[in-house]
Amino acid sequence: MLDENKTSGETLVVEDHNQIFSQPVFVETFKNKAAFECGEGAEAVAKQLDYSKSAEYKEKNFARSALTINPAKACQPLGAILVASGFKGCLPYVHGSQGCVSYFRSHFNRHFKEPFSAVSDSMTEDAAVFGGNKNMAEGLKNALALYKPEMIAVSTTCMAEVIGDDLNAFIGNAKKDGAIPTEFPVPYAHTPSFVGSHVTGYDQMMRGFMFYFTKDNAKAAKDNGKINLIPGFDPFTVANIPAMKDMLSQMGVEYTVLGDNSEILNTPMDGHYQMYAGGTTIAEVTDAKNAKATFTLLPDSTSKVTASCVKDDWEQEFVELTPMGISGTDQFLMKVSEITGKEIPDSLAKERGQALDAMADSNYYLHGKRFSIFGDPSYVEALVDFYMELGAEPLHIVVSNSTKKWGRALQKKLDASEFGKQAQVHHGADLWHLRSLMFEEKPDFLVGSTYGKQLALDVGVPLVRIGFPIFDRHHLHRYSTFGYKGVINLLTWTVNTLLDDLDRKATFNNDFVR
Amino acid sequence: MLTSELREVLVEEDCDHNAKKQTPGCPRPTPGKAGGGCAFDGAFSSLVPITDAAHIVHGPIGCVGNAWNNRGAKSSGPLMYKNAFATNINNNDVVFGGEKKLYQAIKQIIKTHNPPAVFVYQTCVTAMIGDDLGALCKAVSEKTGVPVIPVESPGFIGSKNFGNRLSGDAVLRQVIGTQEPKAEHPFNFNIIGEFNIAGEFWEVAPIFDQLGIRLICTLSGDARYHQVAMMHKAQVNMMVCSRALLNVARRLRELYGIPYFEGSFYGAQNFSNSLRQLVEYFGDATLKEKTEALIAHETAKLEPQLCALKAKLKGKKALLYTGGVKSWSLVGALQELGIEVIATGTKKSTEEDKARIKELMGEEAEMITDGSAPNLLKLYHEAGADLLMAGGRNQYTALKAKLPFVHVNQERDLAFAGYSGFLRFAKQLVFAIESPAYAWAKRPFGAQS
Repeated sequence: MLDENKTSGETLVVEDHNQIFSQPVFVETFKNKAAFECGEGAEAVAKQLDYSKSAEYKEKNFARSALTINPAKACQPLGAILVASGFKGCLPYVHGSQGCVSYFRSHFNRHFKEPFSAVSDSMTEDAAVFGGNKNMAEGLKNALALYKPEMIAVSTTCMAEVIGDDLNAFIGNAKKDGAIPTEFPVPYAHTPSFVGSHVTGYDQMMRGFMFYFTKDNAKAAKDNGKINLIPGFDPFTVANIPAMKDMLSQMGVEYTVLGDNSEILNTPMDGHYQMYAGGTTIAEVTDAKNAKATFTLLPDSTSKVTASCVKDDWEQEFVELTPMGISGTDQFLMKVSEITGKEIPDSLAKERGQALDAMADSNYYLHGKRFSIFGDPSYVEALVDFYMELGAEPLHIVVSNSTKKWGRALQKKLDASEFGKQAQVHHGADLWHLRSLMFEEKPDFLVGSTYGKQLALDVGVPLVRIGFPIFDRHHLHRYSTFGYKGVINLLTWTVNTLLDDLDRKATFNNDFVR
Repeated sequence: MLTSELREVLVEEDCDHNAKKQTPGCPRPTPGKAGGGCAFDGAFSSLVPITDAAHIVHGPIGCVGNAWNNRGAKSSGPLMYKNAFATNINNNDVVFGGEKKLYQAIKQIIKTHNPPAVFVYQTCVTAMIGDDLGALCKAVSEKTGVPVIPVESPGFIGSKNFGNRLSGDAVLRQVIGTQEPKAEHPFNFNIIGEFNIAGEFWEVAPIFDQLGIRLICTLSGDARYHQVAMMHKAQVNMMVCSRALLNVARRLRELYGIPYFEGSFYGAQNFSNSLRQLVEYFGDATLKEKTEALIAHETAKLEPQLCALKAKLKGKKALLYTGGVKSWSLVGALQELGIEVIATGTKKSTEEDKARIKELMGEEAEMITDGSAPNLLKLYHEAGADLLMAGGRNQYTALKAKLPFVHVNQERDLAFAGYSGFLRFAKQLVFAIESPAYAWAKRPFGAQS
């Protein structure tokens, strides 16, 4: 339907879909359509909706056992291919059915606003019956010929795992049959989606790399003076890895980032599409065994097994610390200083002071504010710590993919804190649980990924977008959340979201100064 | 599903090519190559726009986590479909079977959400452990009185297209024909294969109201369960995007004698012709006159607005990489704007789609089957194209290479259907070509103009 008042040719009027579909002609059509649909009337719908916000409904909702509604987690291979993207010239390859990879690519495209390369060996019905050995050989051969990687990192989908395909044997067979050269590096990891979540997959694949490139090398007599960083499944990896490098450089500490995907997920518009860019080299990962210590920045992305790989096989200290918030960053820097013997320079002390200054500027709007939060365990824990540094109070903490032990430990920590007394940690819950919780006790704001959008709108609270995925806002992933500079970013997002909300809801006083 | 039933869906008899080829059915993916979506994706995305139903994925969390609310299929009412329901299959379920969990889960949905129907989607894992969806859904349905429809389309069974068809088969068997409209109407029709992405169906819906013809159901954009159940009452079916739901159109012809035709919403000429074709089936002279008057009015309004845009677009070259019916219907729309289409993607197209492309672009039409980024870029540069049109997975590749890009798949925010959509489409093309951001990217460092 053309709006007669609109442009004729010269100027291009840009309408968004809200403007388009609120035109009378569409409103009329929707009304006619609703009349024909034989649906329940508006009154019945409103009644049911009200009921879904009640205490009685909450009880029913929490009695759910078999059904998951709106989960805040993804599956293993998603984490695995994010690791693989961080090694130089590496093509992420998923052994199993093709559709999963197509989904993963879309996810990363939409979150990072970047191309993301990954392939699968497209197992079908025949493979379901006979196993995927043939697909592996053909797939590796084709992938090498088509995309010319320097290495291929293999993870799996559920399908291959249900059959019980043996990656080590299959890759060996492919090499034996001449599908790919014997010396071509193919690190691998089993990543069934029906176990754990994307952070589990991250851990599996990272350990796959560590094991593959260091298992046969003896440890050097003397350490190489460096520290290793495992970034973890980090939605802000593009900015956080450079932020870590910057802080360590200021201290004069040498480092190896294992799985450095900050280049490939942030290539410039220079006229050339780069399928591979940056990334940890084979030499670096091989030498990681000789470092002084390995830091895992998001401990949910490294398991006990990985910890023991570092401690027992690499004979290094394994440090689990998220450098987020003032305290988190302090602890990280002090630990680095302790291990390397390097001083924390004045330049970092200045950054710290600047972050504290910003916190003081904004604290009036955050002190005493109550919030609900969902996401991955390590992010949630670090963010809760950060918000409590500002005097904000956590109410509901929902994590779909944590362990019980993690949940209990966090609850204990919160119970002991001045600001965490009201907090309830809901381990293994989903966003539909969170909905009931938030209707029962409305927070001032919600922190989480785009998946919390509908929830925040329903309850009528602003959403501070921190998490994975963020599909509906642009460029947040280009900002760091780690370090003192990260404090300023987190603070900026939060306080401005609250101020926007304040202004939007203001009925009498929209002041220039806030 | 029985093997024979599966084969019937795989080898769609109304696909001409199945009569000619030695190995009938949809083509198989190549291992090691960047692949497209799976059968589950196809089934899920084609039924989820039934907005008041609950759609539960019986499988590990990844399948629903990835597919949850990931296409911009809009609803003018219920938002049930925007929730992700899953059984979240874990290790234990893989060993001991997931049927009991699914049974509970469906009952819980009915308790917490009270939907008019529940669609249950099979996935790779639950198909392989042998969970019997059909029997189970029947049992819950009998117990609760709520229709529970199994969609047996595990990912590994084939391509996205095949999954579309399997979902069509599910509604044919269990939904269509189960309800009757409250009132009679002289002119009834369905639209098949339109998903209301970015409000595409809405864009054209008022036109049908104006003509006084009643749309029973869109399969499945902005549809309600009850509408799908009444689809057998149409006098004609219009198939738009994707012949992948061809089996629905064919079976409706066989079972209820409803003829179907293929139409397009893209491009003013395409759309006008489709309207003409549609009303032809009703055989009503007054309606035909009314339609001609409407077409004349709308195109007369459109033409002056398009004129300036056409002047900017004439002679430009576009590379189109999209799926299914868009591979030809957009070609027509682009040509109407004076744009030369140098190549079009046919990875997800049927043989008939390809025949249409040849009709439009000539026998020498370049068809792209390798949609990898390097290949698309190579084709683009070889042909000296001005514009790349594709979906989300290619968007960012194109931007790296400084190629003006227009979104034509599910991530876009704007509808391109019908007359006003066509105008918007033309505007988007002009925007892409004239964007100062691209112009800056093309200047050498330091050059100001």
